[in-house]
Amino acid sequence: MNLSPRDEEMLEGRHGEPLRKAMEGLVTLGRAYNAEDMVDIGYAHIHAGMAMYKDDVELMEELADAGAKVVVPSSANIANADLVNWRQTGAPESLARLQNRAAGAHHKMGSAAAFTCTPYWAGHWPTWNMHMVSIESTVTIFCNSVLGARSNRDGFFAVYASMTGRYPRFGYHLDAQRQGTHLVRVECMPESVSDFSALGFHVGRSVGGGVAVFEGFARRPTMDEMDALGAALGTSGGISMFIVPGVTPPYANTEEAFPNGLPNDAIIANEAGIRTTYEHFTEGDGSFDLVHVGCPHASFEEMKDYAQLLDGKRVKDGIDLWVTTSRSVRNMAREAGYVAIMEKAGAKVISDTCPMSCHFACTASPDPKLGVKPPVLRGIVLDSAKQAKYVHDMVRCPVLLTSTEKAIESAVTGSFVPRFSAS
Amino acid sequence: MSPPRIIHGRGLFGDKVRGPALVAKEPVSFLGDVDITTGEIIGELPSVKGKRMGGMVLVFPGSMGSAGAWRFIYQQFIHNTHPLALIAKELPDPSVVQGAIMAGIPVICEPNEDVLNSIENGDILTIDGKAGTITVGNG
Repeated sequence: MNLSPRDEEMLEGRHGEPLRKAMEGLVTLGRAYNAEDMVDIGYAHIHAGMAMYKDDVELMEELADAGAKVVVPSSANIANADLVNWRQTGAPESLARLQNRAAGAHHKMGSAAAFTCTPYWAGHWPTWNMHMVSIESTVTIFCNSVLGARSNRDGFFAVYASMTGRYPRFGYHLDAQRQGTHLVRVECMPESVSDFSALGFHVGRSVGGGVAVFEGFARRPTMDEMDALGAALGTSGGISMFIVPGVTPPYANTEEAFPNGLPNDAIIANEAGIRTTYEHFTEGDGSFDLVHVGCPHASFEEMKDYAQLLDGKRVKDGIDLWVTTSRSVRNMAREAGYVAIMEKAGAKVISDTCPMSCHFACTASPDPKLGVKPPVLRGIVLDSAKQAKYVHDMVRCPVLLTSTEKAIESAVTGSFVPRFSAS
Repeated sequence: MSPPRIIHGRGLFGDKVRGPALVAKEPVSFLGDVDITTGEIIGELPSVKGKRMGGMVLVFPGSMGSAGAWRFIYQQFIHNTHPLALIAKELPDPSVVQGAIMAGIPVICEPNEDVLNSIENGDILTIDGKAGTITVGNG
């Protein structure tokens, strides 16, 4: 692997132990993937330090205490507790305190923290051809597919890249990987952000780790729709990128997305596929304690939608409604008056975390001394296939997937309202 | 007892280790398929469901699922339930590789024979993560 003189210096330890360890890890990774050299990155979405996992916040603290700094704009991924309003979620104070230590480590390293799975809505906006790293697959997919930046699905080494400014050139950093493998012919127009999520989950099962090229949307999908589509594609499959010709830079048309020729077969995306996802995530006896919207973390536009749906309504007694977003977007929505409308209706506007990421998870491994005890839930109504899949796997309670509008209607009436009425 | 046999693959990294094989015939999603605190395989992997991977050389086709895999592998390391080494038919995804590097777990991929069928549960394997060699039996 060809290393720059500065890479070599870091590897030799001439810039301190944290950078030596970081560069050693990146070089080992690069060799595993036969990378020729390293690229300069322009942005890093990095590990939060997760309080629900033993010694995990400490991973970030140890780097911060050893003097490590981020050398590119950096944001932190979603965390395990709302750093400020944790009481609203029923999280133990011990967990919130530990999670707040991660914020301290990020600030010490020069990271913007953010604690969100949608840093782009909070102003972290990499651009076309920018090499970057991301520990969150939803961010990888959005940045590759909507913004035209170049990112793999990384793990902790996103932190090492943020400290060195370097990353081995392999995977989606190479043009060869950024082309279509599967053609998806869209035969219906999804009617909502949640329909895009259901469609993405259905298609992702057939695409695996490939690059899906979508042809036939009746109009240009909105950014929220692209976000929902990507998050769900990355949940049922292992994708890092999808292409909507005319939207995803630089692909003007389907032919450009398949430089080696179009595949013979196409995956058909129609209403039946969308229905399949909603049906797949209709579990249990229909009872629920919690309704959740805001996965991935809501954009300002989505907060506006939720406020309109909740204006003048009242969440039924005994039901919790969580709206999850980033702290930045919550602040914008508060200033616009939307948070007040939602809270007046009885909703809880939570930032930094979400149901699958918070103390609800049974599959995490918190330090026993924190005293975390996941609550027993009868069920969760939600509007995101990604959240549905991971609540099913990690919170292990029944999930009920529906549209955003009908999720909020479920919260108000106390009865589950499915996306499609029974036929 | 048959003489030791050597299988060659691509050694990604790691030292020499020796331990019993656990052969999963299905791709593994470390986030979801494995209980961190016990190392037990809890996902729908019929060939290995209920078995524990701590201290075993995990032989598997490849990885799938969430990019959070690294965190689960590293957590297994923190809880001392992690596999001793990984032998994957196909190069695992970057998150799995990053988790293995952090946990000091040697990884060999692309072996030159069908290890899912030629290696059996309990076979004693000696792994050299740098050389890429897998010695089956009392080598």
